[in-house]
Amino acid sequence: MKSIWENYKTDVAYDELMFSEYQSRPVSHQLCRYLDTLKKEDIDKRKAAAELAIMEMGISFTVYSDEGNIDRAWPFDIIPRIIAAKEWRIIEKGLKQRLTALNCFISDVYGEQAFIKAGKMPGEIVNSSKNFRKECVGMKPKHNVWANICGTDLVRDKDGIMYVLEDNLRVPSGVSYMLENRVITKRVFPELFQDIDIQPIDDYPTRLHEMLTSIAPHQNGQVTCAVLTPGIYNSAYFEHAYLAQQMGAQLVEGGDLVVKDDDCVYMKTIQGLEKVDVIYRRIDDDFLDPEVFRKDSTLGVKGLMRAWKAGNVALANAPGAGVADDKVVYAYVPEMIRYFLNEEPILPNVPTYLCSNPDDLEYVLDHLAELVVKPANESGGYGMLVGPHATEKEVASFRDIIKKDPRNYIAQPTLSISTAPTLCKSKLEPRHIDLRPFILQGQDTFVTAGGLTRVALKKGSLVVNSSQGGGSKDTWIINMGDK
Amino acid sequence: MLSRSAERIYWLARYIERTENIARLVNVHMNLLMDLPKDVEMGWKQLILINSSDQIFYEKYNVANEKNITRFLLADDTYAGSLFSSLTAARENIRTSRDLLPDEAWEQVNEMYLFAKKNLDTVSNRRHRVIFLNEILKGCQRFTGLLSGYMSHNHPYAFIRLGRNMERADMTSRILDLASLLLSESRSDEVRQYETILWMNVLKALNALLMYRQQKHSHVNGDDVLDFLLKNTNLPRSVMCCLSEISECIIKLPNNGDLPAKVVELQTYVQAIKTEDTTQAQLRGILDDLQNKIGGLHNEITQNWFLIVSED
Repeated sequence: MKSIWENYKTDVAYDELMFSEYQSRPVSHQLCRYLDTLKKEDIDKRKAAAELAIMEMGISFTVYSDEGNIDRAWPFDIIPRIIAAKEWRIIEKGLKQRLTALNCFISDVYGEQAFIKAGKMPGEIVNSSKNFRKECVGMKPKHNVWANICGTDLVRDKDGIMYVLEDNLRVPSGVSYMLENRVITKRVFPELFQDIDIQPIDDYPTRLHEMLTSIAPHQNGQVTCAVLTPGIYNSAYFEHAYLAQQMGAQLVEGGDLVVKDDDCVYMKTIQGLEKVDVIYRRIDDDFLDPEVFRKDSTLGVKGLMRAWKAGNVALANAPGAGVADDKVVYAYVPEMIRYFLNEEPILPNVPTYLCSNPDDLEYVLDHLAELVVKPANESGGYGMLVGPHATEKEVASFRDIIKKDPRNYIAQPTLSISTAPTLCKSKLEPRHIDLRPFILQGQDTFVTAGGLTRVALKKGSLVVNSSQGGGSKDTWIINMGDK
Repeated sequence: MLSRSAERIYWLARYIERTENIARLVNVHMNLLMDLPKDVEMGWKQLILINSSDQIFYEKYNVANEKNITRFLLADDTYAGSLFSSLTAARENIRTSRDLLPDEAWEQVNEMYLFAKKNLDTVSNRRHRVIFLNEILKGCQRFTGLLSGYMSHNHPYAFIRLGRNMERADMTSRILDLASLLLSESRSDEVRQYETILWMNVLKALNALLMYRQQKHSHVNGDDVLDFLLKNTNLPRSVMCCLSEISECIIKLPNNGDLPAKVVELQTYVQAIKTEDTTQAQLRGILDDLQNKIGGLHNEITQNWFLIVSED
């Protein structure tokens, strides 16, 4: 009988689990030994069991283009991605360092702007950012933390080094899938959890709740937390409901909240109005408060900014935090770490060309076919160009788009992002993956053990975004006797 | 508890109860028709008369035969009163209330929905329909049992019981309506001899036949069945029993205003209904009145808890 590993190619990129078709990396020895004991039919059965579990658990991610189908099941690959605890400890440290510096930067942007005054970054970048909110100038959120929840995307290049691809500081999603993936893997491969020392991840909702409580305006008595969702048609609604349920918090929509004359936020309950202290908002700044931002927003709450500025309610993430979630600002994060923390960055950035910079722009336009070009402010993999995979026509039309609005584009070399074995039709094949760990910062800082591994299920594809048909894997941080 | 959540949970319970009731009704009616002689003018049409959906039905279908009516009542997703529409609405409501209920509750409803969706086309075939309806009935029972075993007796639970019993009371009155329709057609012709079978099926539609026998020790007859289904205080699906559950829930909930008094009023009304020697016309009058009063109570519940208007 043929092996599921037959013709497994490890020359495409760095493979997370395998040296070659025949040789596993130390982190995956135990997993591979176990997989070898299974027959092909067994593996198909486990895959079917996972799919059934996903259907029944109703794990869903809306893909807008799937018309009329608002809960497409989330594609899940049963083969886990594994990282050694020894390596993870360094990454964890690097992530904490990075978010700490980013929060110093945001505080500085809305405060003295010392970073800019010291000539570390052109002020123009902040002024022209559509995520810079002048309404937030002078605000001091608790613990000086603006971005309380951050999802940082990491990729490993051919050289085996983990690079930071971007920091998601607005409303990063995906953590519920990280948690559910573990639940499914435990159901599908319970045997593996007996022999392998896998770090648990299910404390995330507790940590999130602790963090939210730590930023409450008043520390006396019980803190009422709510998760503010744009509602059922939002692509991440499942996650909003899931987190609220896991934290025992209220899941609210804009219409459930009201800001009264005392500048406090209340929710409409069967007992009348009840005060809310902390809001984990999953709505973009633009839609948060029609009184201040977009007037046509029906998702937000009139007066919410007033209440926040009066210090009567905490918002996580704070309005305006998105100013640091900008691919141009990203290029300056290593400098922020040096400037604010007086440390060297632990995790490197991907080299980045800023199209706003004339020299960089020229280089980018000349080398479009080799580069990845991204808009500065979009998320979800929309509106980007992957040079090596694009047609000449696409490259040409992108050239015009960039020239029209250089500030809004950055370019990076096309990384050969790492692969991991993924089950494709009863056979394992390498597929490109990334990793999104989640970092919480309030009074303390916490990093998830691992994160959400997203996988580009289409052969050769580098786009892992769930909104563009990517899937995900369980991520294991394993102790290998080197604690 | 948020007003919006309360409303969704209340409707969740109503829709699950409705799903179960439609399943049982179709099941029982199918059994009834198997027992009656083929030449008796008694068919599937009655099922669309009891919730006055005959007009909607004829907009979509030409013939009121078994195939069309069961498709309409069970599988038609464009008819809001169908089993599948109710189940879909229940799923939408629980999907948006997951923060308040045990995980298994969502999984149970979702599983049932996926099952129904996959098997919608099988309902026109009698044998498959029986299997389909049994699965649905079991699923609804599992859901109810699961909540009673897993949920604290908190406010959300009170809204679930409230919704379930409002729907039950309404459904019981509608099933009695069906009886009155059947009787009117039976009085003059030979179906008269099947009257007992009709009343037995009415009891079965409410899972009440065994309880009736234990309680009444009598031959199944119209007056007694009517009395039993309206006024018995122990039978879960009797109107009186539903009202006393409704009353318990309302008393448990905060800010209940004059709702407790309203329920007492309704209980007094049901208690006073005369069930002996009623003519078909009288019975219809009583049941219409009762349904209006239950509808009125529903409106009051909505006004009282779900529509918090803030003065801004």
